[in-house]
Amino acid sequence: MILFLRICRNTLINSSKSQASPARNEGTDIPRFIHDIRAPGEQKMTNNNKKIEIKNISLTYKGSGTVFQALKDVSLTINDGEFVSIIGSSGCGKSTLLSILEGLRTPSAGEVLIDGKKIEGTGRDRGVVFQQYALFPWMTAEKNISFGIKQVKPELSKKERLELSNQFLSKVGLAGARDKYPRDLSGGMQQRVAIARALAMDTDILLMDEPFGAVDAKTRVILQELLLHLWEGDGNSRKKTVVFVTHDIDEAILLSDRIIMMRANPGRVYQEIPVNLERPRSRSELVKSREYAAVRNEIMSLFFGDIKDQIDQEAVI
Amino acid sequence: MTIKERFLRYAHLLFIIFVLTELFLPDGTRRAPLINYAIGFASVIEIMLLTVSALSGCRKKIVMFTDLGIVIFTVLLVWELMTTKFNLVKPILFPPLGVLVHQFIEDIPEIANNIVSSLGIIIQGYVLGLIGIPVGLFLATDKRISSISGHIAGFLGAIPPIVYIPYGIALLPTFRSVSVLVIFLATFWPVLMGTISGVNHVDKRLLDSAKVLNLSRTSTIFHVVLPASLTQIFVGANLGLCISFILLTSAEMIGARAGLGFYVKNYSDLGDYTRTIVGIIIIGVVVVASTWAVSLIQKRLLRWQS
Repeated sequence: MILFLRICRNTLINSSKSQASPARNEGTDIPRFIHDIRAPGEQKMTNNNKKIEIKNISLTYKGSGTVFQALKDVSLTINDGEFVSIIGSSGCGKSTLLSILEGLRTPSAGEVLIDGKKIEGTGRDRGVVFQQYALFPWMTAEKNISFGIKQVKPELSKKERLELSNQFLSKVGLAGARDKYPRDLSGGMQQRVAIARALAMDTDILLMDEPFGAVDAKTRVILQELLLHLWEGDGNSRKKTVVFVTHDIDEAILLSDRIIMMRANPGRVYQEIPVNLERPRSRSELVKSREYAAVRNEIMSLFFGDIKDQIDQEAVI
Repeated sequence: MTIKERFLRYAHLLFIIFVLTELFLPDGTRRAPLINYAIGFASVIEIMLLTVSALSGCRKKIVMFTDLGIVIFTVLLVWELMTTKFNLVKPILFPPLGVLVHQFIEDIPEIANNIVSSLGIIIQGYVLGLIGIPVGLFLATDKRISSISGHIAGFLGAIPPIVYIPYGIALLPTFRSVSVLVIFLATFWPVLMGTISGVNHVDKRLLDSAKVLNLSRTSTIFHVVLPASLTQIFVGANLGLCISFILLTSAEMIGARAGLGFYVKNYSDLGDYTRTIVGIIIIGVVVVASTWAVSLIQKRLLRWQS
């Protein structure tokens, strides 16, 4: 419990008390390293490498006579070069939180700092990949990317932009699709173009809102591997800070350094689970490892504890 | 495709029947039916069909064109049988095909003048009416203005522009300028309403994409809102074009001294129904050609759509 309070040290004591205690099975044979849950930023970071600081964010919608609290007192610190996934059942506010980071929504209370500066709306320091409609349907794949580059690097000539676009199209394996319109590309290909655009824009931060949520299972695996490969790079280049919203637990484990689990009613951070699996990772190696199974079990039990709580709540009502 | 598939079609058989009918079935009237012109006209169509059949690589296209040929030759054949061959209808109201074609060829300079006059007014009024696009973009992108401008445009657009003609005549110096004004109104309101509706229905996710790319307001309007509303804008533009032709020809029948509407009205007043029919067909051709031109532009601009 003490451990848990430390995790939630940035959230109000009240809200953490009201939360159900973590549905962790004390005494079962969960390997020890799982319990090594760090408070955010405790172990390897100093103040310098905090990239994103989310401070006591709340978001309330006022309808006619009803008040809906989408987010309540969410605090989170994400380090430079860290890959963080946000998971949680639907309605937990994970996408809402991300849209605040994107700058598309303004919180009712609290603030978001990037590099110590409060964000006001959208910014050129953040690249975004949506689940759908990330691309403009009236632009070819190449034009979509070059249009994105133009917004962050207006100093580049058209030729340089197109060169860069094609370079990144090749990176996602779509060199042949440069002159195709999005309607001629499958959902998975469109997302690859969207990722290529986000990477080509070369922002410090990458915000991804269920980017693989609308593609079929096989394509999703391919895209995850691709993203992993592109993000891990050759190990020398500076890594981007990624915030990745998903409801796919395996996806989150495969990609992330840390997983944030959120809960609904009101939307809040429930648990943070570090994923200390070796990098570079590959799915085929990962699924064989004991550590992977352990993390997965841990998250599963937390995740389904959440769902059980929800069902219980509804039953009472 | 084999030669048989390309050229063995009923349309060509009908053409031969038509020519044989013209040549060997005796004339039932004592008017000069000018069968050479009729055969010439049918031959022009037949040559077009043969060209398509010979050059097109698409089987469906060949079938479509030759099917059209069947319809055209059947109509021509029936027309000739009813008029000159068996004399079943009043000759003054239904002149033989050859007479129509001959009249058309004789009147080409006059008809050309009238087409230039009519199209000149249409293009002027229409291009002016396209101001509805920027105006609509401006009105619809501001939330407060947008909510009232829809109502205002709904009211003003509901007034049939033809009722402005008498007032326009009092207001403006020439009948031509009145026509341009009417065409302008006929185009402006549909285009404006199409634009407003298009802007209002732009997918929110596209606007979010624009926002996270940090597009400026101008850039958002031109690179996102405008292309996203283009489909609706073209609905308005096509509607505007249709209404424009209806109004222009009507207006020309009321007070003009030139134009296709005038040509038809003038010669029917004089009892020259040959020219009346020629005029009607020419108007059809001009309208089809105009809408086709607009649809080419539309296809080009919306080529990214499925």
